[in-house]
Amino acid sequence: MGAIFSRFEDSRRGLPLSGLCAMTLGVLLVAGLVPPESFAWSRTGSTTTSTLMGGGGGGGMMIGGGGTDVLNAANGPTLVVRQINKTMHDGANVKFWVFCASGSNNCRLPGPTLELGVGQTANFNLNVMMAPQEMPPYQGHTIHPHGLDVQQSEDGVPETGAAVLGDNYSFHVDSRYVGSHMYHCHVHTVKHLEMGMYGAFVVKAVDNLGNFVNVIDQNGPAYDYEWNWVLSAVDPAYHADNAVGDSTVFADYNPKYFLVNGNEGLSKTAPAETVTAATGATVAIRLVGIHSVDGTFQIKDASGASKSFVIYNRDGFALPSAQTVTSADITPGQTMDVMVTLPGTSSSWYPQITYKSLRNGAVYTNGTVYARLNF
Amino acid sequence: MHAQVLRFFPWYRWLFVVLFLGFPVISFASSYTLYIKSGSWTVNGSGGTTLPVWGFTDAPGAGPMVPGPQLDAQEGETVTVTVYNQHTKPHNFVVRGITTDQTSIPAGGSKTYVFQTPKAGVYLFSDTLNGNINREMGLYGAVVVRAAGGVNKAWTNGPAYNFERLWVLSDMDKTRWNSVAASGGTVNTSVYKPNYFLMNGMGGFDAMRDPNTVLEGPLGQVGMVRIVNAGQFDQSLHFHANHFYIIDRDGTRLSSPEPGDTINVKAGTTAMLLYTMYRPGDFPMHVHTAQMETANGVYLNGAATLIIGQ
Repeated sequence: MGAIFSRFEDSRRGLPLSGLCAMTLGVLLVAGLVPPESFAWSRTGSTTTSTLMGGGGGGGMMIGGGGTDVLNAANGPTLVVRQINKTMHDGANVKFWVFCASGSNNCRLPGPTLELGVGQTANFNLNVMMAPQEMPPYQGHTIHPHGLDVQQSEDGVPETGAAVLGDNYSFHVDSRYVGSHMYHCHVHTVKHLEMGMYGAFVVKAVDNLGNFVNVIDQNGPAYDYEWNWVLSAVDPAYHADNAVGDSTVFADYNPKYFLVNGNEGLSKTAPAETVTAATGATVAIRLVGIHSVDGTFQIKDASGASKSFVIYNRDGFALPSAQTVTSADITPGQTMDVMVTLPGTSSSWYPQITYKSLRNGAVYTNGTVYARLNF
Repeated sequence: MHAQVLRFFPWYRWLFVVLFLGFPVISFASSYTLYIKSGSWTVNGSGGTTLPVWGFTDAPGAGPMVPGPQLDAQEGETVTVTVYNQHTKPHNFVVRGITTDQTSIPAGGSKTYVFQTPKAGVYLFSDTLNGNINREMGLYGAVVVRAAGGVNKAWTNGPAYNFERLWVLSDMDKTRWNSVAASGGTVNTSVYKPNYFLMNGMGGFDAMRDPNTVLEGPLGQVGMVRIVNAGQFDQSLHFHANHFYIIDRDGTRLSSPEPGDTINVKAGTTAMLLYTMYRPGDFPMHVHTAQMETANGVYLNGAATLIIGQ
């Protein structure tokens, strides 16, 4: 056990050979970045509006998701880290560090969605050249495949030996993992997670040809649409240039902005995201909890009445039996796969997440983030 | 024949046989003596500090322990706890879900609590007086109630495990609560900004080394983790290397264990889960919440320990 801390030091000295190899490999792999399941987007202002184009990443049509890229983690994509700025509703400008596909200009919050088929071998890379980063002992970045229970060498934890200056990640998962997970940087996570270094990691069931199948879990029902929800909160003090290293800034957390897929959604008329699906369709909503506060997910109609939805997976594993609820808590580090069946007549529903204090459950100011689902 | 039996089993071996056979049916009655004291508690490692605390201890000449001593019992057992208040303020001793007497023990006084354990599980004991201040100051601990007979099962006829851990989680706001309360001041309880997050009274620096906290075992073995959140913040604990199965959530046994890699243990509640050692090597187990990973802002000296697959 004592060796952990010596490795903690070792992992931060110089550029490991594996990192050099990964960076070289990353450059060579740039050409293969855009997967066949990419789709088109249109957007209006800070609100993202998806169109029903393309086949989605997993068989069902993918809607929403904040406009981030969707990458097949088995196809050798390389992620890089870039700084972006976002203007919040009060005019404040906040810096974020985000993952994005190498060669893509689509650097946004959250990072690309990574998808992986059951039994297929993940093969993706992190290249930290030109990445914003901290000084030692917290320089560099990693990718932690959170919830995929990978071996130590692929876990992305510097304190247990992960390379921080670039790496290749290779692993595979079995059918228990069909569902939503996440990935994030595990270097000085109190800073790097907050800065925006995360994305959804979705494990897909596959057919005999290896094609993704649109089922919620290995033995679960099919869905017509899938909608990723990456949940996060922002304490702007953590994003300041001087909030680095072992700073007392990180001894307190005062989130001021609350996001779904990188967007605020302060009201039903200014939702974080608006999507459209067919009447009568089933929609899988994949909740990915990066936030550092408590959260409660609900779906309401225009009059504010709660609508039922069904929870199939928690942390990417199927529950012993699906649970039909009108409200579900999701806390930091958790994921949840839910499905909702839309009525046969056109209307709009408002899925929403309410962010709450870890101490007493009090809802934060602007703590409810709305999205809009038209059908 | 009789002589041969006696040669193979002399008197002292019969004693072992009697003890072995008798063990499962003996009804134990545990008895504990606790002392409430003021003192200090040190969080080691970078970012660590020494905080003024009030705590329970089982040694009359020692300082307070954070958390208090672990109280062990079996299902259906009668437990006697005598508490001596050696502090200058009134205190009490309440086992959540078991005892109901919340009256105070005056400074210098004592009280004896006798209770029967209702069912196997893990229970928070604490001083419930003075709002949350007495608990925040360190007056808490856990009662671990095991299956009758001391078998390695979560409860009688419940799921089996190979080894067990107890994690008592807590948080402390040194500046606004501990220092103020210890010096006789009035704590503004509307503001609570804890800057120390502890597992079994330790920051990650120690908790990643402590053999009673680290989840360590041979691959394939099942570790039973009993979790008590004695703090005021909900704790969302993320396990690397494998999913666990929750078998009890705050005293409610789950008819079908629920899988997860991150468990939310709300403030003041408990949980029990089974974690099968799956991957060889070293992995972290940590709270997934911003500042709760730190000791006054210093990374990884917060609520974190290790998972070690052998």
